[in-house]
Amino acid sequence: MKKKLVMLITVMLLLTLSACGQTATNDSKATNTNNKENEDPRIASLSIHLTNDLLALGITPVGSVVGGELKDFLPHVKDQLKDTTKLGPAKDPDMEALIALEPSVIYVDKGISGEDTSKYEDIAPTESFNLDEGTWRDHLKTIGKLVDREQEAEEFITNYETLTNEVKTLAADELGENSKVMAIRVTAKELRVFTTKRPLGPILFEDLGFKPAAGIEELDSTQPYEVISQELLPDFDADAIFVVVNSDDEAQTAFKQLEESPIYQGLKAVKNKHVYVVSDQPWLDYSALGNKLALEEAKELFSK
Amino acid sequence: MKFDLRSTRTFKTALVLVLINFIVILISFNTGSLRIAPTEVILTLFGFGDDKTSLVLFEYRLPRIIITILAGIGLGVSGALLQGVSRNPLADPGILGLHAGASFGLIMFVTYFHSLNDNAALLIPLFTFSGGLLTAIIIILLTYDRYKGILPIRLILVGIAISACFNAVTLFLSLRLDEDTYTFASRWLVGNVWGREWIHVIALLPWIVTLTPLGWLQSRKLDALSFGDNTAVGLGVSVLRSRLSILAVAVALSSASVAMVGGIGFIGLVAPHLARRLVGPRHQNFLPVAGLLGMVILVLSDTIGRSIFQPNAIPAGIVVAAIGGPYFLYLLTKTK
Repeated sequence: MKKKLVMLITVMLLLTLSACGQTATNDSKATNTNNKENEDPRIASLSIHLTNDLLALGITPVGSVVGGELKDFLPHVKDQLKDTTKLGPAKDPDMEALIALEPSVIYVDKGISGEDTSKYEDIAPTESFNLDEGTWRDHLKTIGKLVDREQEAEEFITNYETLTNEVKTLAADELGENSKVMAIRVTAKELRVFTTKRPLGPILFEDLGFKPAAGIEELDSTQPYEVISQELLPDFDADAIFVVVNSDDEAQTAFKQLEESPIYQGLKAVKNKHVYVVSDQPWLDYSALGNKLALEEAKELFSK
Repeated sequence: MKFDLRSTRTFKTALVLVLINFIVILISFNTGSLRIAPTEVILTLFGFGDDKTSLVLFEYRLPRIIITILAGIGLGVSGALLQGVSRNPLADPGILGLHAGASFGLIMFVTYFHSLNDNAALLIPLFTFSGGLLTAIIIILLTYDRYKGILPIRLILVGIAISACFNAVTLFLSLRLDEDTYTFASRWLVGNVWGREWIHVIALLPWIVTLTPLGWLQSRKLDALSFGDNTAVGLGVSVLRSRLSILAVAVALSSASVAMVGGIGFIGLVAPHLARRLVGPRHQNFLPVAGLLGMVILVLSDTIGRSIFQPNAIPAGIVVAAIGGPYFLYLLTKTK
């Protein structure tokens, strides 16, 4: 009897516990949804990159997914998304939060959410973007048309081109004309080299007009990066190297180890001090805003 | 006299469990990012809700609840059957290596067949099921003795060894995955309720509905087996054949459940134990109770996992282990 009582009490406690957790979070969600009453469409974005395209046009989505690894909005746009409801990671969005938002339109990335488009259609009209097709300019223009801000889209792109030209001049002064460039990423686990695909391909090889280092173009351009071994680094024979290093300790340590290796120290770019260490955000955020912020950083890097 | 007593007790216990289940399910219906008042939940369930609530309840919450109900029953019964067959209270699908096999199946899928991602909803269960089946076959082959049939003691030991082997391969392969896939795989491995749509309910339902009664029908044989092989033979039970058929049912039940809810261990161990304490060792009585208990545990765990740490839901498998572990220890130290 006593045993049964204990079990019953345990169950009761657990139930109360779960009920408590639930009310607390629901209240905070409720306040989020009420304070948006302007004419702009209530857009829910299911891609961090589309969110940042929207921000570039001066539109704050009512809800947006968060970066999968960060479990939060990307650091460079976090301030602008204070009133935006977090909808979980793009690969497993919080459908109920999405429904609760009552968006007037949902923006999805075809590559991630393509299969589930019909589910989103049940909630609100859904615009599907194929982010692998075209550049962020095309995506921005398409969005500009949808939200009636074509003017802003054009302006943003023009400003970006001006910025690109400035960076190009600075880079040419620093590295010389026609320099060959590659971008790598150091993680605790492996060394990756970026291909010509987004996120880094377009900004380096198209916008800034760098030549891809030897062998970069031969990499599988349907994938954003390829894992390589350190020994292969010299083969690329790059004049300058962009190194993406996360701010976490593991990645920093991994980069230190790489810096100490003789192979790395023998690289042409290292000897000429043409190594540019950048952080993962905004550089890997292939969106209008992300690219612009990355270029602003690049301007700093080359002015030094 | 004894039989009657046990039966009424079973009936009462089952009734209480069904009641608890009912409450847990109602609470689960109330759990989610969208706030819906309990009265509204009930109204919607009877068809009087607005579009938004019906969409949330019927398309998102209901399928998930049904999945956890079915998988909970599956895991509980499967554990009970395995403990009966191996005559060892330690047996459960996790310890016997069936989960390791299923995990291996999943990792094989995400590593080598990722291009088939479009049909992941249906292919993942297939792969995990094949993985579970593969381990089961290997284990049976290795425990089979030409003269004595399947050796119950060896069943567990071989299971543990096989489980270690498969885990090693799984770990090795998972290290080579990219972050997103790795996150998905690791969440799956610890038991994240993954099947959430009607299609998953449809895929799981037939297994549980047909196999659970099939397992229950073997109660008599299981009772006989629990007296030892010789006695069982004396009671007219074909030991090898019944052992194989019961094993097959248990493997199918656990693999199908695991395919939908990930590698949740422990339910298969705890549920039969609790059931035996509540209604005694007769399989006829304790198999259904084990199923009901498995269901309570899983639905409750998933509800807790979804609600406490919102918006970052924690996998049900972790909740099961976190609550089940200490409670099980408490039970063990308080043995009669």
